[in-house]
Amino acid sequence: MFAYNLRIALLSLKRNWILSSVIVGGIALGIAVSTMFSATRHSLARDPIPSKSGILYYVRMDSWDPQRPYPGTDPTLPPTQITYRDMVGIMKSDIPVRQSGMFKASLYVFPDPKVGRPAQTLVRLCFSDFFPMFDVPFKYGSGWDKRADEGPEPVVVLSEEENELLFGGADSVGRTVRIEDRDFRVTGVLDHWRPAVKFYDITQAAVQGVEPVFMPFNFVRPMKIRTGGNSDGWGPSPSVPGFEGVLAGESCWIQMWVELPTTGKRQAYEDFLKAYVLEQKKAGRFPRPLNNRLTRVGEWMKEQKVVPPQLTAMMVVSLLFLAVCALNLMGLLLGKFLARAPEIGVRRALGARRLDIFIQHVVECELVGVVGGLIGMALALGGLAWINNFMKTTFVARHDLFRMDGTMAMLSLGLSLLAGLVAGAYPAWRVCRIAPAIHLKVQ
Amino acid sequence: MLRMQAIKKVYRTDLVETHALADFSLRVEAGEFVAIMGPSGSGKTTFLNVAGLLDTFDEGRYWLDGEDVSRLSDDQMSRIRNRKIGFIFQSFNLIPDLDVSDNVDVPLRYRGLGGADRRGRIDKALELVGLSSRARHLPSQLSGGQQQRVAIARVLAGDPRLILADEPTGNLDSLMTREIMDLLERINEQGTTIVMVTHSPECAARAHRQIHLLDGKVVDLEGRPAPIVRPELAPSLG
Repeated sequence: MFAYNLRIALLSLKRNWILSSVIVGGIALGIAVSTMFSATRHSLARDPIPSKSGILYYVRMDSWDPQRPYPGTDPTLPPTQITYRDMVGIMKSDIPVRQSGMFKASLYVFPDPKVGRPAQTLVRLCFSDFFPMFDVPFKYGSGWDKRADEGPEPVVVLSEEENELLFGGADSVGRTVRIEDRDFRVTGVLDHWRPAVKFYDITQAAVQGVEPVFMPFNFVRPMKIRTGGNSDGWGPSPSVPGFEGVLAGESCWIQMWVELPTTGKRQAYEDFLKAYVLEQKKAGRFPRPLNNRLTRVGEWMKEQKVVPPQLTAMMVVSLLFLAVCALNLMGLLLGKFLARAPEIGVRRALGARRLDIFIQHVVECELVGVVGGLIGMALALGGLAWINNFMKTTFVARHDLFRMDGTMAMLSLGLSLLAGLVAGAYPAWRVCRIAPAIHLKVQ
Repeated sequence: MLRMQAIKKVYRTDLVETHALADFSLRVEAGEFVAIMGPSGSGKTTFLNVAGLLDTFDEGRYWLDGEDVSRLSDDQMSRIRNRKIGFIFQSFNLIPDLDVSDNVDVPLRYRGLGGADRRGRIDKALELVGLSSRARHLPSQLSGGQQQRVAIARVLAGDPRLILADEPTGNLDSLMTREIMDLLERINEQGTTIVMVTHSPECAARAHRQIHLLDGKVVDLEGRPAPIVRPELAPSLG
């Protein structure tokens, strides 16, 4: 019977194609707008690493100034990053399955002169655990090993785009890249790793693409690399002069992640952090009350307001717009269905139940919803492309920030069906209540 | 086949009450071909609507095929309409978007029959009315007589016990009228009960019995209350 109702619905749409186009167009417009804003928000809000987001923790410790709280809306929160010396201290723990301190820097990369000119390039300094911890996909090769962390050995991992830029996209594993004053050997090339939110470092420019180059963290000291991200400090200048003073000071500029796959591990690591801070307090550091935080990926993104409240508000408004479109179409559908009252009278006389008539018309509404939804999704894809292009030319150096993934496509289709139902349920109910006898004489 | 006892049907508006059927009683036996006649406003259409379970009534009782159908739910009435009653209308009432075959298919769809069964019934019904070659034509591509034959095929496909025909030849010329009446007679000869509302004395004359309505009641030719069954059956019914 569903196929039959679908055929009847198609015939009905064809019968008055101008009115049908208006109705489908109304749904399409509502779906396009709501899908575009929902997809925009969803791109930022969705879990960037669903397979591990429950076991990855961002580490914070409150080494901040006792006189005033760390800047921000909530004075109870510790700094968003940790100091170099604390990172070194807690990296000694063997409780986490994987762990990495990290920061980004801006360094000169020297391509082959035939290919291009030297350019300042964002480089992430991290430990070898970074790649397996965040399930980073590789096109060629892999990350480096722990021995390279300790050396440190001059190795790098390139993003797909950087590999394209430096080596024309070829397998560059084993080839050399000059960064600043030394040569690095390529161990791996990323395979299209483009999380919408750079979740491993959302303290600054969370929607920027991943860094083009990754190198072992421990080059920080021999190359005297300073952070290219946020750095928050307090207190008197370090007693040690120069770069060593930066490393020894109370300035917070390192992001720290650990992988703790079990509750036991988490508890043990919490205890470890507590012991570490209490030990530091004995040495005169950490003057504020104990305030360590282990925060999961999703909670950390919420705390850092990765999704701007304005974007959520726009999504709500766009959904209301869809509701208004659907409610406006209700009148058109009611008129369309009531004009068919004689046919409904005939069907009722021939044995159709009210439910049969209701379902027949709901199927038609849902067909309108689906067709309008598909057109709306196509328009939304165009809209997202436009927004991405706008963002690329204004805010972020990437063109793929906002995407419509499978979840969003399904949600959009669901919204289309819901819009069709909202627009059509009342008209369908009205026509199924038509007394069959009334219209048979005038058919 | 059809028995109505003291049926009362009143149409109400804010200002007036119209007694469309008043103490209306009638009995039609299985296999009968009955013509209902009467002036406009006499209650013919109301009678057909009530008889066809297309409309409810206020008082009285109604038995159809031995079943008391006086107070049924809408779904139950739909089921009886679909299985026991066939309708033929003056204006054919074919669905314009559907071709001949699909129009005949409509009642069968609501009966939930399988594809092969429906196909067989449609082919047989169209063959009976001589329209097999027009199965894929739209109603607008047919003459009035052909459209009425499609409507009759739609009835035949459902194989009902009772056919209610509302001025089935009202929109047809004399040649077409004769064709349709021949067809109805043949159907009646197969055992199907037919109740036909008509203004045409010629058509009414081809029925077994003529019943006259006036002011919502069955009357004789002088306008007096008339027997509700065939006179020869009256004594046996007590």
